[in-house]
Amino acid sequence: MIYVGILIVVPLLVYLISFIWPPAINLLTRVIEANLLAAIAIPLALMTISTGRMNFGPQFYIGIGGYAAALLSIHFHVPPGLTMVAAALGGVIFGFIMSPMAIISGGLYYSLLTLLFPLLFLEATYIFTDLFKGDTGLSGVAPLVSTGNFSLNLLSYAFISLTIMLVYLFAMDKIFRSRYAIQMAAVNDDEEVANSIGVNVNKVKMIGFTIAATLVAVVGWFYAHYYQAFSGQIFLPLSFMLKIFMVTMLGGRTQIYGCVIGGYFIAFLEMILIRLTGDMSPVLFPIILLILLLVLPEGLFGLYRKRKYREYMPTLRFRR
Amino acid sequence: MLGAVETTLIYTFLLGSLYLLVSLGFSLICGVLRIFHLGYAYIFTATIYLTWMFMTIFGTPPYSTTVLIIAIICMLAVQAGLAVAIYKGLIVRYLRHEEIIILGLLFLAIIVEQAALRFYPIQTGVYLETTVIHGVSTIGQVTVSNQLIFAAILGIVIAGLFVLFFLKTKLGLAVRAISYDVYSSRLMGIRVDRVFMFIFVLTLIPVIAATLAIAPIWAVDPYMGWGYMSTAILVSVLGGLGNIKGTMIASYIIGFVHSVVGFVFNQPVYMGLAALVVVLVMLIVRPQGIAKSETVW
Repeated sequence: MIYVGILIVVPLLVYLISFIWPPAINLLTRVIEANLLAAIAIPLALMTISTGRMNFGPQFYIGIGGYAAALLSIHFHVPPGLTMVAAALGGVIFGFIMSPMAIISGGLYYSLLTLLFPLLFLEATYIFTDLFKGDTGLSGVAPLVSTGNFSLNLLSYAFISLTIMLVYLFAMDKIFRSRYAIQMAAVNDDEEVANSIGVNVNKVKMIGFTIAATLVAVVGWFYAHYYQAFSGQIFLPLSFMLKIFMVTMLGGRTQIYGCVIGGYFIAFLEMILIRLTGDMSPVLFPIILLILLLVLPEGLFGLYRKRKYREYMPTLRFRR
Repeated sequence: MLGAVETTLIYTFLLGSLYLLVSLGFSLICGVLRIFHLGYAYIFTATIYLTWMFMTIFGTPPYSTTVLIIAIICMLAVQAGLAVAIYKGLIVRYLRHEEIIILGLLFLAIIVEQAALRFYPIQTGVYLETTVIHGVSTIGQVTVSNQLIFAAILGIVIAGLFVLFFLKTKLGLAVRAISYDVYSSRLMGIRVDRVFMFIFVLTLIPVIAATLAIAPIWAVDPYMGWGYMSTAILVSVLGGLGNIKGTMIASYIIGFVHSVVGFVFNQPVYMGLAALVVVLVMLIVRPQGIAKSETVW
């Protein structure tokens, strides 16, 4: 609980410091970004463990949620509360439709196909540019919060994003401590053995996939209302996927608490690099992440794990 | 109607052969090393920008053919060295942690892309004059660049040489054996690590050849690799990862789809979408791809 307290106090502290030093308020944008990255990585951990495969296109569902919210808000003036329902519904539908992919395709085929879907979606936004405004992005989405004060708005967004992340975190914690998690772990370790001991492998995969897709789509909804715009160019390319992956990997290979550490680490490292190195930061950022990936194969959570050993560490497989 | 058939046939041949060149390396790495080479895109970017870098070092504009050739040789040396470094530093060391290999390769591609963008921004106007045959040819109602025809023929020749290598040489036999079973190959005395490294370097050849062949006729920029890698993924998945026969057939199928959509229906924006739909349908019917086998031949 002390860590949750820190996460709540940090935005408040930044808000208060901004009264003395106004530029400090920009730190809240990093806090929001960190919360959202963690909120994407946490469901991705569920998807990875329950399917026993690595999805290379989680940003596809950000696109689904974001575009559903943006289109409904711009064209039909649907309030944010309802656009969230629509985004989640979009996540459920597409997640459910896509989930058999985790059953049909195995190994590299699954990785390759999931990698292609966001790129295809991005291409579709250019093809149907009248609808998605592929070149410029959709703008004019209703804001989630409108207090009339920029700093207060940012603080509100920081707390909403934190709430989303914490809800995901504790929900996943509950799931991972349940009997259902044992089934997921069995699927992750060996599908055939899991099947032989009575685990309905296909059901576990489909449920895990669909839940994760829905949760990621809700993050897409938040992005659309937070920026009051949504563009596939930002969220659908590989570079964004890489950021999510680094949150997962640097945090601690699908460890949900590690995702929070990873999210904050990546978001703030990016900011510091931009400040310190300017236009060299796009080159240096991946170099530093690559070094960290090689130096910390179990991520930052692995350092904690060395002190307090945890029995189960899911395996990330690609060749199966 | 006859014109449409003619256009389809010609562009299927041209694009299919080019896609074969682009996909051969990716398919082989997936099939033999069983590694999802997400950094494959870096080879395209590195080919162009390393060559350009060496050209600016060794000469001044307008660059002579000699400077270009020297720059290409230097680029080849750097690319080979980089491939060996990647293999020894990343792949061998983290063979049991696939996620690290995949992300590491992806980072590498992004580092190369961003470095190219930083040092040679798009407005620099990077252009490689690697045209072998100038001019255009008219076949029936279709007019195509001679360089594109050259690239297509090069694709067939290189694919043919690859097939001959795998079928007729001892080393090729070792590669085929590894693609069947790594552990048994090791028992038979094949030095698997060396063969892996050889394949990793060998796969550079078709990609570099394709990039240099199309450099003067198609747009080049630091992001160019991702598009070609997407095509390589589609072809490899459709053909069956690692299988050359499957890759050949799949290249021409994707070439056919692209030529019909792009040149017969004049809807180039739908080319990628159409190819992906074909791949998805094929995967539902045959989940392991056309070749139905993850072996080289």
